[in-house]
Amino acid sequence: MDNRRVRSRGPGFLTMLLVVGLAAVTLGVAPAGAATFRVAVGIDPDTMDPVQLTTTTVSNMIDYVVENLTTIDESGKVLPMLAESWTVSPDGAQYTFKLRRNVKFHDGTPFDARAVKWNLDRVIDPNVRVPIRASYPIERTEVVDSHTVRVVLKHPYAPFLGALSWGTSGILSPAAHDKHGNDYKNYSHVVGTGPYVFKERRKGESITVTRHEGYWGRKPHYDTVVFRIVPEAATRESLLLAGQVDLIILPPVADLPALQRNPAVKVLLAPSDRTIFIAANTTKAPLNDKRVRQALNYAVDKKAIIQNVLFGAADLMDAPMAPSLFGYCKVGQYEPDPARARQLLAQAGVKPGTKIQVLHPTGRYVQDKEAGQAVAGFLREIGLEPELQTMDWPTYIRTITTPADKNTTDLHLLGWAPAFLDASQQMLQFLSTYAPPGGLATSFYANPEVDKLLTAAERELNADKRKELYCQASRIVWEDAPWIFLWVQRFPIVHSARVTNVSSLPNEKFYAIYARPAQ
Amino acid sequence: MTRFRRYLARRVVASVVTLLGVSLIVFLMVRVLPGDPARVIAGLLASEEEVARIRVQLGLDRPLYVQYGIFLGRLLQGNLGQSARTSQPVLDEVMERLPATITLSVVAMAIATAAGVAAGVIAAWRPYSIFDYALSAITLFGVSMPVYWLGLVLIIVFAIQLNWLPAAGSEQPGAIVLPALTLAAFSVAIVARMTRASMLEVLGQDYVRTARAKGLAEVLVVARHGLWNALIPIVTVVGLQFGTLLGGAVLTESVFGWPGIGLLLVDSIFSRDYAMVQGIVLTFSTLFILTNLAVDLLYAYIDPRIHYG
Repeated sequence: MDNRRVRSRGPGFLTMLLVVGLAAVTLGVAPAGAATFRVAVGIDPDTMDPVQLTTTTVSNMIDYVVENLTTIDESGKVLPMLAESWTVSPDGAQYTFKLRRNVKFHDGTPFDARAVKWNLDRVIDPNVRVPIRASYPIERTEVVDSHTVRVVLKHPYAPFLGALSWGTSGILSPAAHDKHGNDYKNYSHVVGTGPYVFKERRKGESITVTRHEGYWGRKPHYDTVVFRIVPEAATRESLLLAGQVDLIILPPVADLPALQRNPAVKVLLAPSDRTIFIAANTTKAPLNDKRVRQALNYAVDKKAIIQNVLFGAADLMDAPMAPSLFGYCKVGQYEPDPARARQLLAQAGVKPGTKIQVLHPTGRYVQDKEAGQAVAGFLREIGLEPELQTMDWPTYIRTITTPADKNTTDLHLLGWAPAFLDASQQMLQFLSTYAPPGGLATSFYANPEVDKLLTAAERELNADKRKELYCQASRIVWEDAPWIFLWVQRFPIVHSARVTNVSSLPNEKFYAIYARPAQ
Repeated sequence: MTRFRRYLARRVVASVVTLLGVSLIVFLMVRVLPGDPARVIAGLLASEEEVARIRVQLGLDRPLYVQYGIFLGRLLQGNLGQSARTSQPVLDEVMERLPATITLSVVAMAIATAAGVAAGVIAAWRPYSIFDYALSAITLFGVSMPVYWLGLVLIIVFAIQLNWLPAAGSEQPGAIVLPALTLAAFSVAIVARMTRASMLEVLGQDYVRTARAKGLAEVLVVARHGLWNALIPIVTVVGLQFGTLLGGAVLTESVFGWPGIGLLLVDSIFSRDYAMVQGIVLTFSTLFILTNLAVDLLYAYIDPRIHYG
């Protein structure tokens, strides 16, 4: 009797416990208030300090709080922000900025010329960690009057206005440098002039900002914006589908077609500046022969990979840089032509069955591993024997940046997204002095003519002439084919159909400061 | 008591030596991995000059033995160094994130122990019954299921379809349920199987037959005479499972965006943040050693015949 009772209770009791438990906890799950906008991103910031930025997503969050002297619009054009206007000296080495008046930092201190000087001095201070300091060749900054500053550069540097739009040169309140746990070398609690005020960071979990009621510009709709840190793409997607966040970036790419069919969400495949390519080690036979590199370009059907592996989340490259960059001009196409590829290989004396190593990272770029495999398949079709290899990211960088005399790599997949939308930042990849160990031009490409054009372009102040110099360099690079030119990655943003006014910037950022509920 | 104290002192000394060994192994392991932490931290766009500056700031330009000496010297003062990635003290970062991982692991452990012991007892009580076979199938499923897959299935069912629970994070009430269930799945299976085996052995003993013969209620026979005497191997496996749970937390935290130390460890390994990896592994090791010590001490309580010495 006792036995039977215990037996019948066992599993039933457990089930009951589970149901009661679940019911108890579900009572607490309420949707966040209507005035909160919730974003899920994949990266837990390594730093909140603008000068130390290396990651676009982190910069994207800081943009809510901190503003720059200049900004860019959806097309990538540089526009005034905290600087209302500027003049450039005839030699291109001095920039004078007229600053916006009646702007205050979130701590109530005034935004003025001294604050700008303090911030730009900090960018060039060797005691502060500034990873992309090289983009700011500042000699000194002078306060002309309370709302005018003059920046003297070490040499003419045409992309300077673009550089000032990037997070690194974000303007912080100097008065906050020793408050909220900040110190001069490291800001963890950013105080800027932006539409939102930094409120709280829960490491590994969330960052919360609240609307700045004293903002000088247009006020956003939402009182609060919460950025949730969710590293797993599938979980971010789940949060959106469950209505627990309003916007996500980088969902699992294979789910894009299903998301596009789902009326509850909207998918933006935002144009970006990130080119994905396979760099060839141009110092090593047989890849030191231009014909071989061209053959590889003819071998790969990039359109097919974009369609079937990237689910349309990319555009074919038709120049060595993304169209959103200043200095871009369309150069051409290597249409897939296996016969021609085989012919070029034969001309170069490459025998069928020649082994060629293809390195690719895993999980760094959209479908990178799958893309590497697809490329290897096309190389096999023209008679080569590709050997695929992957490794974790730090090992990967170490391997591909080994100096040429010790570098044993053949081909490696890489993505390159310039910090700001200027050809100078992209074409570094083709500058011979930027080859490892001095830089990251990992194809070791060296063409004196290209070097000359790129150096001239960086100092040329006439925009049309400058663009033409980059076009000329692009044409030569395309012909020399140090890369298998693949695609410009699109940046997938998915948001709830219940919100509107969400767009993107062409440097892998979402733009949702003025998001509001859809009618 | 004196013997017990001597035993405890020996265990503490052994633990310190183990931790020193762990620290040396981890110190060397992270350094033989290829990859330059300074470059990873600075990013692809940084100039070589900037990378070199960061390398010096991190002390990576010094010989290995000097680096280890500095590390040990700091450790003796309770200082785990500074994170290369975040520029924050490692101890602060670890202490900030550790409670989330401990909470998750303890809740998962509780689920695993309760469900595993209950299932194991019932299976052993009626061996080769339908329930026993079902348990075998379920435990096999639990052991073989990847955490990643199970986590996403639970999210789809309970967060998207039923909308009962948060899909990720830790701030909302109920957020711990899905990650804890996911993390517990593997251990439930192990605990259940161990309980079943141990109980089967005990329930076959003469004193159990005697207890039944004298007309004791079956519940008391199973619980007092059976389970209590079967506990030693179960407690051992539960203790060992705690280590598995801490390891499993790394994956579970990634899937559920749980702000624990596991997620921090993954980020730190991928950025070659030596100080942080060392700090986290030392913390995990300390927890594991403490758990094992607690298990050993529990033996004497469960079985008074056990003496330390």
